[in-house]
Amino acid sequence: MLEVRDLSKSFGALAVTQRVSLRVAPGERRVLLGPNGAGKTTLFNLLVGELAPDSGQILVDGRDVTALSVDARARLGLARSYQKNNLFAGLTVRENLGLSAACAQGKATALLADSRRDPGVVETVGEVAERVGLSELLDASVDTIPYGARRRLEVGLALASKPRILLMDEPTSGIGPGGINAFHAFLHGLPGELTILIVEHDMDLAFGIADRVTVLNHGEVVFDGPPQEARDSALIREIYLGSWGADGGTDGSAGHA
Amino acid sequence: MFHQTPLKTGAVLLLAAAAVVYAFTTGFFGLELLTEVAILAIVAIALDLVAGYGGMVSLCHGALYGVGAYAFASATVLLGWGGGAGVAMAVAAGGGFAWMIGAVSARTHGIFFIMATLAFGQMAYAYFFDSPLFGGSDGMPGIARLDLSGVGLDLKNSLSYALFCTVLALLAYALAATLLRSGFGRTLVGIHANEPRMRALGLSVWRHKAAAFGTSGALAGLAGALAAQHTMYVSPGLLHWTVSGELLIMVILGGLGTLVGAVLGAGVLVFVKHEVSRFTDHWHLVVGLVLIATVLSGGRGIFGQIEFWWSPRGATRRAATEGSPDHA
Repeated sequence: MLEVRDLSKSFGALAVTQRVSLRVAPGERRVLLGPNGAGKTTLFNLLVGELAPDSGQILVDGRDVTALSVDARARLGLARSYQKNNLFAGLTVRENLGLSAACAQGKATALLADSRRDPGVVETVGEVAERVGLSELLDASVDTIPYGARRRLEVGLALASKPRILLMDEPTSGIGPGGINAFHAFLHGLPGELTILIVEHDMDLAFGIADRVTVLNHGEVVFDGPPQEARDSALIREIYLGSWGADGGTDGSAGHA
Repeated sequence: MFHQTPLKTGAVLLLAAAAVVYAFTTGFFGLELLTEVAILAIVAIALDLVAGYGGMVSLCHGALYGVGAYAFASATVLLGWGGGAGVAMAVAAGGGFAWMIGAVSARTHGIFFIMATLAFGQMAYAYFFDSPLFGGSDGMPGIARLDLSGVGLDLKNSLSYALFCTVLALLAYALAATLLRSGFGRTLVGIHANEPRMRALGLSVWRHKAAAFGTSGALAGLAGALAAQHTMYVSPGLLHWTVSGELLIMVILGGLGTLVGAVLGAGVLVFVKHEVSRFTDHWHLVVGLVLIATVLSGGRGIFGQIEFWWSPRGATRRAATEGSPDHA
């Protein structure tokens, strides 16, 4: 579905992505882990085309998309939500979702028909709003809704484009434990055929949803395997879960068993 | 995003009614003014489409207007085509030139976009100013008006021509409102609100911007064809960047991103120019003061301010977004 081969990117002397290779199967839930500055967001930027790699290849369904523009990759079904909310300010939740749905459904070039009344757009907006829990806030301006709602809309925008591969960059940052539980439920409600890559800091959530875990450190893949192995890996404890392990490894593993 | 609110509909109908009443009660000179307002309103609507809703502030709409006027003049005078073909030529020339400008400038933003449009506009001005084929700095005289005698309309009559242009201005408004409610128009507003995200959602942003700019140019070209028939003469002055500047003043004065404001601004500017210049040659001073007052008082413009006052009684959403004229 999504394959990355020997991807590298440097900013000057700083190698932010080093020979990263990974292969994500259709319908797989892949969690990207790694400490701050490990290059997770950079990898997302490379995958969607917001950054050009120095070397390496990105393939979607076996097709090399490394040279394609951001929008061309999106049209192939690659959607992404951002770590920092990146919404259409000043517009309502409905208008935000409508822009995404209309664009994906080829209604962005319709000159006469009102896209807000388009059955396909209306249906997608309603369905996505339901999924991300924004049905009550559809007509509120995104400038006035609470932070947690904006965070959910961030994911909703990506989802409303009906992607085949969904990249989510720390979707649960700053939304609190209640929000994380709701997000867990939301993830389980997503169609099984949707391929998902997710950067996540919440360990319970990460291990709870992942089919496979990829751990980045200093721009390199240092681990790639099932979540059980990741949890037991001494290397990962050292580089990523160091303080967690030091706090009391037994508590940690008991709490996350 | 654009909403054809009852307030907007009411204002448009009121303006149209005022134009018709004025047309039947005024003399020859008043009809000339009304025609000028109607024609400039079409260009101002075209400009608001891209500047107010698309965030593409243009300093070349005078040039697009002028290219339309020259296209009509060339088609009818030089090529001997009929008036209808001349209008089609003006629309195509304005639209084509604008699409090209949009396609080249779409990747620039803010001041650089403005400068790119200014450069294209002045290039067109310089071309027509020096071109012997189009009469150079003297322009082209002897342009005939459309022959609509088939439907019982004599456009050589000032009243008929003023009403004809008023109807076309109304149609231009309806067209722009329809476009802004469509997927095309909403996406344009989306680009204005957050261009990188629109791209991330799969939109070819430059293509969309170029198409919007081209559409705007086609409307400006239509207005140019009407202007050429109005004065029966075209000169390079139509393309000068100061015309573009005045168009921007109209749109900002009336209310950027309100569509009705463009029409209102055209009316106010033309009539202020006329009334004030009866007392003093320094009418620009008065317009300048009014413009400064508009910008300092929140930049909403006349109609933007009216909508702002009206909004608390309307949807709570509009009340919530008050203070951001971009998103009217």
